[in-house]
Amino acid sequence: MSFREKSAWITLIAILLVFALYGLHAPRLSDPGPFELHALLACFAAFLAIEAIAWLVLRLRYPEDARTPKDERERLIDLRATRIAARCYVVLSFLAIVIAIHLTNDNIAVGYYIVLAFVIAEIVNYGARIIYYRRGV
Amino acid sequence: MSGTIVSNRIRQLRFEKGEITQQALGERIGVTRQTVNAIELGKYSPSLEVAFRIAEVFGVPLEQVFQYNPVRSPSKKPS
Repeated sequence: MSFREKSAWITLIAILLVFALYGLHAPRLSDPGPFELHALLACFAAFLAIEAIAWLVLRLRYPEDARTPKDERERLIDLRATRIAARCYVVLSFLAIVIAIHLTNDNIAVGYYIVLAFVIAEIVNYGARIIYYRRGV
Repeated sequence: MSGTIVSNRIRQLRFEKGEITQQALGERIGVTRQTVNAIELGKYSPSLEVAFRIAEVFGVPLEQVFQYNPVRSPSKKPS
Protein backbone atom coordinates (compact mmCIF):
# COMPACT_ATOMS: atom_id res chain seq x y z
CA MET A 1 0.00 0.00 0.00
CA SER A 2 1.47 3.36 -1.02
CA PHE A 3 2.05 6.23 1.40
CA ARG A 4 -0.75 8.25 -0.19
CA GLU A 5 -3.19 5.38 -0.08
CA LYS A 6 -2.48 5.03 3.63
CA SER A 7 -3.05 8.79 4.01
CA ALA A 8 -6.37 8.46 2.16
CA TRP A 9 -7.45 5.63 4.50
CA ILE A 10 -6.55 7.72 7.55
CA THR A 11 -8.49 10.73 6.27
CA LEU A 12 -11.52 8.60 5.41
CA ILE A 13 -11.52 6.89 8.82
CA ALA A 14 -11.02 10.24 10.60
CA ILE A 15 -13.98 11.79 8.74
CA LEU A 16 -16.22 8.79 9.43
CA LEU A 17 -15.22 8.63 13.09
CA VAL A 18 -15.55 12.34 13.87
CA PHE A 19 -18.80 12.87 12.02
CA ALA A 20 -20.34 9.65 13.35
CA LEU A 21 -19.71 11.04 16.83
CA TYR A 22 -21.10 14.40 15.70
CA GLY A 23 -24.16 12.63 14.27
CA LEU A 24 -24.90 11.07 17.65
CA HIS A 25 -25.09 14.50 19.25
CA ALA A 26 -26.36 16.49 16.29
CA PRO A 27 -29.79 18.07 16.50
CA ARG A 28 -32.63 16.54 14.53
CA LEU A 29 -32.34 17.86 10.99
CA SER A 30 -36.09 18.43 10.68
CA ASP A 31 -36.07 20.66 13.78
CA PRO A 32 -32.50 21.77 14.45
CA GLY A 33 -33.01 24.58 16.98
CA PRO A 34 -30.18 27.10 17.41
CA PHE A 35 -27.05 26.55 15.34
CA GLU A 36 -24.42 24.84 17.48
CA LEU A 37 -21.31 26.36 16.03
CA HIS A 38 -19.12 25.21 18.92
CA ALA A 39 -19.99 21.53 18.26
CA LEU A 40 -19.16 21.91 14.59
CA LEU A 41 -15.88 23.68 15.33
CA ALA A 42 -14.98 21.01 17.90
CA CYS A 43 -15.57 18.38 15.22
CA PHE A 44 -13.30 20.12 12.73
CA ALA A 45 -10.66 20.58 15.44
CA ALA A 46 -10.86 16.87 16.35
CA PHE A 47 -10.61 15.94 12.68
CA LEU A 48 -7.55 18.15 12.17
CA ALA A 49 -5.91 16.77 15.33
CA ILE A 50 -6.44 13.14 14.24
CA GLU A 51 -5.12 13.97 10.77
CA ALA A 52 -2.04 15.76 12.11
CA ILE A 53 -1.13 12.99 14.58
CA ALA A 54 -1.71 10.20 12.04
CA TRP A 55 0.24 12.06 9.36
CA LEU A 56 3.14 12.58 11.78
CA VAL A 57 3.17 8.87 12.69
CA LEU A 58 3.09 7.89 9.01
CA ARG A 59 5.86 10.35 8.19
CA LEU A 60 8.08 9.03 10.98
CA ARG A 61 7.42 5.43 9.99
CA TYR A 62 7.88 5.92 6.24
CA PRO A 63 10.19 8.96 5.88
CA GLU A 64 11.36 8.04 2.35
CA ASP A 65 7.82 7.60 1.01
CA ALA A 66 6.68 10.84 2.66
CA ARG A 67 9.41 12.81 0.88
CA THR A 68 8.66 11.31 -2.54
CA PRO A 69 6.67 13.76 -4.68
CA LYS A 70 3.40 12.60 -6.24
CA ASP A 71 3.87 10.82 -9.54
CA GLU A 72 1.56 11.04 -12.57
CA ARG A 73 -0.73 8.19 -11.45
CA GLU A 74 -1.22 9.71 -8.00
CA ARG A 75 -1.93 13.13 -9.54
CA LEU A 76 -4.48 11.54 -11.91
CA ILE A 77 -6.16 9.78 -8.97
CA ASP A 78 -6.30 13.12 -7.10
CA LEU A 79 -7.89 14.85 -10.06
CA ARG A 80 -10.48 12.16 -10.76
CA ALA A 81 -11.52 11.76 -7.12
CA THR A 82 -11.73 15.54 -6.64
CA ARG A 83 -13.86 15.87 -9.79
CA ILE A 84 -16.32 13.23 -8.53
CA ALA A 85 -16.43 14.85 -5.07
CA ALA A 86 -16.98 18.33 -6.52
CA ARG A 87 -19.94 17.14 -8.59
CA CYS A 88 -21.28 15.27 -5.59
CA TYR A 89 -21.00 18.43 -3.45
CA VAL A 90 -22.82 20.60 -6.01
CA VAL A 91 -25.70 18.11 -6.36
CA LEU A 92 -25.98 17.47 -2.61
CA SER A 93 -25.83 21.18 -1.75
CA PHE A 94 -28.63 21.89 -4.18
CA LEU A 95 -30.65 19.01 -2.73
CA ALA A 96 -29.82 20.24 0.78
CA ILE A 97 -31.29 23.66 0.05
CA VAL A 98 -34.41 22.24 -1.61
CA ILE A 99 -35.02 19.62 1.10
CA ALA A 100 -34.31 21.97 4.01
CA ILE A 101 -36.64 24.64 2.66
CA HIS A 102 -39.43 22.14 2.00
CA LEU A 103 -38.93 20.30 5.28
CA THR A 104 -38.29 23.10 7.73
CA ASN A 105 -38.16 26.51 5.98
CA ASP A 106 -35.35 27.22 8.43
CA ASN A 107 -32.00 28.84 7.58
CA ILE A 108 -30.22 26.87 10.30
CA ALA A 109 -31.43 23.59 8.83
CA VAL A 110 -30.02 24.70 5.46
CA GLY A 111 -26.66 25.21 7.19
CA TYR A 112 -26.73 21.74 8.72
CA TYR A 113 -27.71 20.11 5.44
CA ILE A 114 -24.90 21.90 3.60
CA VAL A 115 -22.37 20.76 6.21
CA LEU A 116 -23.73 17.24 5.73
CA ALA A 117 -23.33 17.61 1.95
CA PHE A 118 -19.72 18.72 2.45
CA VAL A 119 -18.96 15.75 4.71
CA ILE A 120 -20.55 13.26 2.29
CA ALA A 121 -18.62 14.80 -0.61
CA GLU A 122 -15.36 14.37 1.30
CA ILE A 123 -16.22 10.75 2.12
CA VAL A 124 -16.86 10.22 -1.60
CA ASN A 125 -13.56 11.98 -2.40
CA TYR A 126 -11.41 9.74 -0.20
CA GLY A 127 -13.47 6.63 -0.94
CA ALA A 128 -12.93 7.21 -4.67
CA ARG A 129 -9.17 7.65 -4.12
CA ILE A 130 -8.95 4.33 -2.30
CA ILE A 131 -10.96 2.57 -5.02
CA TYR A 132 -8.71 4.06 -7.73
CA TYR A 133 -5.58 3.04 -5.81
CA ARG A 134 -6.80 -0.53 -5.38
CA ARG A 135 -8.64 -1.21 -8.63
CA GLY A 136 -6.65 0.97 -11.01
CA VAL A 137 -7.25 4.22 -12.80
CA MET B 1 -18.52 0.98 -27.88
CA SER B 2 -15.14 -0.70 -28.33
CA GLY B 3 -12.45 -0.73 -25.64
CA THR B 4 -8.70 -1.07 -25.88
CA ILE B 5 -6.14 -3.08 -23.96
CA VAL B 6 -2.54 -2.00 -23.61
CA SER B 7 -0.48 -4.96 -22.49
CA ASN B 8 3.20 -4.87 -21.55
CA ARG B 9 6.27 -7.05 -21.03
CA ILE B 10 7.79 -5.12 -18.15
CA ARG B 11 7.88 -8.10 -15.79
CA GLN B 12 9.73 -10.19 -18.38
CA LEU B 13 12.09 -7.33 -19.27
CA ARG B 14 12.89 -6.78 -15.58
CA PHE B 15 13.78 -10.47 -15.33
CA GLU B 16 15.97 -10.30 -18.44
CA LYS B 17 17.71 -7.19 -17.06
CA GLY B 18 18.94 -9.11 -14.03
CA GLU B 19 15.78 -8.98 -11.95
CA ILE B 20 15.74 -5.21 -11.55
CA THR B 21 13.23 -4.44 -8.78
CA GLN B 22 10.05 -2.41 -9.20
CA GLN B 23 11.50 0.08 -6.73
CA ALA B 24 14.71 0.51 -8.76
CA LEU B 25 12.77 0.82 -12.01
CA GLY B 26 10.42 3.34 -10.41
CA GLU B 27 13.36 5.46 -9.21
CA ARG B 28 14.88 5.48 -12.70
CA ILE B 29 11.68 6.53 -14.46
CA GLY B 30 10.41 8.91 -11.76
CA VAL B 31 7.37 7.05 -10.40
CA THR B 32 6.63 5.10 -7.21
CA ARG B 33 7.03 1.33 -6.83
CA GLN B 34 3.23 1.05 -6.58
CA THR B 35 2.82 2.79 -9.94
CA VAL B 36 5.29 0.39 -11.59
CA ASN B 37 3.27 -2.46 -10.10
CA ALA B 38 0.00 -0.94 -11.38
CA ILE B 39 1.51 -0.59 -14.88
CA GLU B 40 2.72 -4.21 -14.85
CA LEU B 41 -0.70 -5.47 -13.81
CA GLY B 42 -2.45 -3.38 -16.48
CA LYS B 43 -4.25 -1.25 -13.89
CA TYR B 44 -2.71 1.96 -15.19
CA SER B 45 -1.61 3.07 -18.64
CA PRO B 46 1.39 5.39 -18.25
CA SER B 47 1.92 8.65 -20.10
CA LEU B 48 3.97 8.56 -23.30
CA GLU B 49 6.88 10.15 -21.46
CA VAL B 50 6.99 7.43 -18.79
CA ALA B 51 6.49 4.73 -21.45
CA PHE B 52 9.51 6.03 -23.38
CA ARG B 53 11.57 6.19 -20.17
CA ILE B 54 10.74 2.54 -19.42
CA ALA B 55 11.80 1.52 -22.92
CA GLU B 56 15.00 3.54 -22.51
CA VAL B 57 15.86 1.79 -19.22
CA PHE B 58 15.53 -1.60 -20.90
CA GLY B 59 17.26 -0.40 -24.07
CA VAL B 60 14.49 -1.61 -26.38
CA PRO B 61 12.00 0.12 -28.71
CA LEU B 62 8.68 1.19 -27.20
CA GLU B 63 6.70 -1.46 -29.08
CA GLN B 64 8.75 -4.19 -27.43
CA VAL B 65 7.55 -2.99 -24.04
CA PHE B 66 3.93 -2.04 -24.77
CA GLN B 67 1.49 -3.69 -27.15
CA TYR B 68 -1.72 -2.05 -28.24
CA ASN B 69 -4.52 -4.62 -28.62
CA PRO B 70 -7.73 -2.94 -29.80
CA VAL B 71 -10.81 -4.90 -28.82
CA ARG B 72 -13.44 -4.88 -31.53
CA SER B 73 -17.10 -5.20 -30.65
CA PRO B 74 -18.51 -8.61 -31.77
CA SER B 75 -21.13 -7.02 -34.04
CA LYS B 76 -18.53 -5.30 -36.20
CA LYS B 77 -16.94 -7.40 -38.92
CA PRO B 78 -13.55 -6.39 -40.30
CA SER B 79 -13.79 -5.24 -43.92
